[in-house]
Parts: sequence; C-alpha cells; structure tokens
Amino acid sequence: MSTRISDELKSWIGREATYTAPEELGRAAIRYFALALGDDNPLHHDEALAQSTRHGGIIAPPTLVCETNQIFQNAPDENGYIGHSWPLPLSSSRFMRGSNEYEFHQPTRADDRITVTWRIVDIYEKDTRKNGAMIFVVSEARYTNQRGELLAVNRETNIHQP
Amino acid sequence: MKEPRTPRFEDVTVGETLPPLKFDVTPTSLVMYAGATWDFHRYHYDADFVTKLGMPAPFMDGQMAGALLARQLMQWGGADAFVRKLSYRLRGTVYAGDSIVLQGTVSDKCVEQGRALALCSLSMTKSDGTQIVRNATAVVELGRRSP
Repeated sequence: MSTRISDELKSWIGREATYTAPEELGRAAIRYFALALGDDNPLHHDEALAQSTRHGGIIAPPTLVCETNQIFQNAPDENGYIGHSWPLPLSSSRFMRGSNEYEFHQPTRADDRITVTWRIVDIYEKDTRKNGAMIFVVSEARYTNQRGELLAVNRETNIHQP
Repeated sequence: MKEPRTPRFEDVTVGETLPPLKFDVTPTSLVMYAGATWDFHRYHYDADFVTKLGMPAPFMDGQMAGALLARQLMQWGGADAFVRKLSYRLRGTVYAGDSIVLQGTVSDKCVEQGRALALCSLSMTKSDGTQIVRNATAVVELGRRSP
C-alpha cells in the first residue's frame, strides 16, 4: 500500500463543490473564446447563419462550458488565479495536467446560466517511468444550465509530484 | 465570410483525413485565451515567474489543447456538426514561441440512437517533432443527407 497517500488525503475522495454563474454566459464571451483560438466558424458569431443550421442559433465552441473561472468573483491569489481549486493536503513540488475526457450532451448557448459541480472521484499513487512516484487526482465536473439540463461532463486527471 | 463546408455523414469515409490545423502559440494567443477563460494565472504571461519555476517560457493551459482539437473537429464537421466526446492526454507542455499542428483521421463511423457519428483519432505535434497529444479520440455528430 501507498505511503504517500495519507488517510487525510484519501478522505477528500467524494468531496463536492458547486458553483453557479452570477449571469448568463453571453454572446461576447463566446466570440472572445473563438477569437482567442483563431476560430472563424460562423456558428459562434453569425446568428443568421447559425439559425439556418440544425443548431438553430449561435452555439459556444464545445469546451467553453468547461472553463468556469468566469463564475468567480474572487480577487486573484498571489499567482493570479481566481477559479476553483481543492485545498488538498499535498506538498507537491510540481503540478501537471494529465488528461481530459469531455462528454458534450448539448451545445451551450449565450443565454445559459451555468452551474458546475466538481467532485473528486479518485486519488491514487502510481510509479511513472519518467518522474517516479506521482499522485494522481481524478475530478469530475458536471455542467448544467438554468433549466437543470446537462450540458457537459469533464473528467480530468491532474498529477502532483510529491 | 466563408460558408462552412458541411460534409454529410453518408459522404464521410473511414480513413479520410481531417484538414490539418496549424497554430502559432505566441504571447498574444496565450493572453487572449487566458483572458477569454478568465485565467489570470502568471503561468500564461509572466516570463520571470515561469523562468524561476524552471520553464523556458509562459505556457499553454491544458484545456487550450482541448479547445483547439474541438475547433479542428467543428471546422471539419461544418455547420451541422457537434462534438459529442473528446479525450486526450498531454504528453508535454506547449510554450509561447512554439508552433503546433493538429492532425486527424476518421477511424470509424456509425449510427447510434439516431445520431450519425464519426469517430476520429487526433494528434498535436510541435514543429520540432515533439508529440503533445497522440491518439486523442473524439466522437463527432454530423448532419445527414436529406432523404
């Protein structure tokens, strides 16, 4: 059994945190996100064209719903970050993103007011060829709109080097 | 403005390639993505800060990789497309100054619960050959030809 994963750390498995955006996503946020990606797909900015498709109107680029910092009104921390994080009892010297698995249930639209529920699914230790023993934290986020409709699920693995 | 191309499910062949997507990661593009996602972490713009952490330059957020993969899929799939699933693992870090190319192929197609789906396999590679994403998998719902 692992020595690096304390009972205290393990007790975080199953914890949840829910946040709701103070306002709807907005068309400008959709256009800004597309612009940042060099994405000129008219589905994200041309209402007339988007209406003629089976989407029936402007939709957000798929992964925008998974970027939820805009829900928060916190002042930036010392590194500039304002979003959700788990204050895990980890003294990690390095943190890396591992993987993302997205499921998109329906497109997100400008008038959606998004709620996200984060849950820690698993915390485990694994020996990696490159970096030795690492701690993997698997979280799942579920995103819904103001009608409670499921928009997307994002299962994310982050890696901490102890 | 150019009309999006709209491949119909019936016309898509297994093994066909998606148009490659080239993206130059610059300080400007990192700041634009950071701004658009309200991600004000110094990782993405503060060269002194990241140098002290042992990194060569500000770097791309992992979810920006996913956003670019989704952009490629949506562009290929056209006006009726919708990405249903996307899974990827990051094998490296993309820094300001890197150029990346995204490539993809259609690995399978099927109709499931009335949805016309193309399964795609995607990669993201730096211009120096470093693989950032290998064998990402995606499911894209496509429009169908009118009967």
